[in-house]
Amino acid sequence: MHGFGEIAERLRRSTVQVFAQGHEGGGSGVIWNSEGRIVTNSHVARASQAEVVLWDGRRLAAHLVSRDARRDLAVLQAAEGGLPSATPGDSDSLRPGELVIAIGSPLGFAGALSTGVVHSVGTIPGMGRERWVGADVRLAPGNSGGPLADAQGRVVGINTAIMNGLGIAVPANSAAEFLRRGARPSLGVTLEPVSHGLRILKVDPEGAAARASLRPGDILVGTFQRLTEMLDSGHDTLRLPFFRGDVSRLREVFVHVAPARAEAA
Amino acid sequence: MANELSTLSSELADVVGKVANSVVAIDARPRFGSSGVLWRAGIVVTAEHTIRREEEITVTLPDGTSVPATVAGSDPGTDLAVLKVDSSAAVAPVAVAAEPAPGNLALSIGRSPDSGVNATMGIISAVSGSWRTWRGGRLDNYIRLDLTLYPGSSGGLVVNTKGEAIGIATSALSRIAGLAIPASTVNRVVEEILSRGRVARGYLGVGLQPVELPDHHKGLIVLSLEAEGPASQAGVLIGDVLVSLGGTAVNDTDDIQTVLEKHAVGQTVVAGLVRGGVAQNIGIVIGERSRRN
Repeated sequence: MHGFGEIAERLRRSTVQVFAQGHEGGGSGVIWNSEGRIVTNSHVARASQAEVVLWDGRRLAAHLVSRDARRDLAVLQAAEGGLPSATPGDSDSLRPGELVIAIGSPLGFAGALSTGVVHSVGTIPGMGRERWVGADVRLAPGNSGGPLADAQGRVVGINTAIMNGLGIAVPANSAAEFLRRGARPSLGVTLEPVSHGLRILKVDPEGAAARASLRPGDILVGTFQRLTEMLDSGHDTLRLPFFRGDVSRLREVFVHVAPARAEAA
Repeated sequence: MANELSTLSSELADVVGKVANSVVAIDARPRFGSSGVLWRAGIVVTAEHTIRREEEITVTLPDGTSVPATVAGSDPGTDLAVLKVDSSAAVAPVAVAAEPAPGNLALSIGRSPDSGVNATMGIISAVSGSWRTWRGGRLDNYIRLDLTLYPGSSGGLVVNTKGEAIGIATSALSRIAGLAIPASTVNRVVEEILSRGRVARGYLGVGLQPVELPDHHKGLIVLSLEAEGPASQAGVLIGDVLVSLGGTAVNDTDDIQTVLEKHAVGQTVVAGLVRGGVAQNIGIVIGERSRRN
């Protein structure tokens, strides 16, 4: 019989530790194919260069191929191919109650295993319109970016967050789509809702908003949902009304948000 | 590549899928909702501590529709509340499991309006007989769960791997673990609430302290008396030592509660007293304890 031990042992070989250059601490990642594509969380791959540590202790350089902060996903390319890749599963067919296992390096312990069941599959209040896999599995910070797998060892999610003790994973199908289509367009801003719209708190210096000269303090007119719909509409250029300082004067900006294609390694 | 683990996995998911038809989501408190169980058609049972308002309570049914609900009654002592919903949907009555044993696998099944049905898994970690909660109610069994109850899990259904009901999940009756309020207790409380609108708790209106009597027997000395309370009206005096109630010897205040639970409010119960060294019997008409007291 294949117990958790056998499944974990195979999955462990497809799980790496990820250390983003210039950042303290690390997370986990999943070797998605044998050419060395590694899927992890966007909040783990915080720099363009990273180091990945394989199950056998080998250290490989890796570079960032693409990241989607809205979905908290990133793809890295390892400097070497021929790596033991994970088997992706179909997260759309996951059912609450199914057994799942998580592998990662919580608090730095590489290859640690936790088990439990699928708690729920669906949207989470306050976390947008995306679907998430809730897992009744004990996770710790170093699990971020690592695999959540079903009873056959197929990766059904990327462990991403812990909410009130519940493990939250990005569904594997979203990760697969992200690999296929690259990052979805984003403005490269941190927003907070205020009475007139969405106030910009931070601007990513390399993002679309910075190129359009939007800056912290500007208030975009509209809601998160409206903005998400515009970003997902497929248009390369968005026309955004906003306030700067004087809320009686509406300004407008054209933001070019051509999606960053996943370029070849 | 089927294996025994994936067979178990799929069986667990089947159980959740089956039980999901009896589990609803309840919105009756700020921030986190809770779960509830369609105990029978139109009747939802949940954990009392999750019902924080009397009006504008919404229940999300297994088919995803939301309907308004009213509180039929609640019993804070056992942490149970009974809601009525206007739903014509036929509901199979919840199948009740035989008494669980420590080590049995258990699933706690809840629902949220956003992500639908949810499940957590663990084991039954302890089972014992009748147990009094810190809220004053009595559960037919103490069933401790070794599984995680997340915000929103309380009020959900705890089942065994056959999908039979062990009880209603609550995180409010123990500091150290989630408990299942036994299905038999749920049945008892639901009947009482539906027929009377509340669970009446008997009381005597006395303050008691355990004492040892000269002949090594134990009793309870009356330290205070509620004016016009049931005991006072029956002629009980401060300083009397209560040695039996309803024919049962009483050694501590828990024994009094146990006797009172067996008698209806308004019934007369015979109290055996020692007054000035002389044994005597006094009949006390059991009063009803005021709510939330």
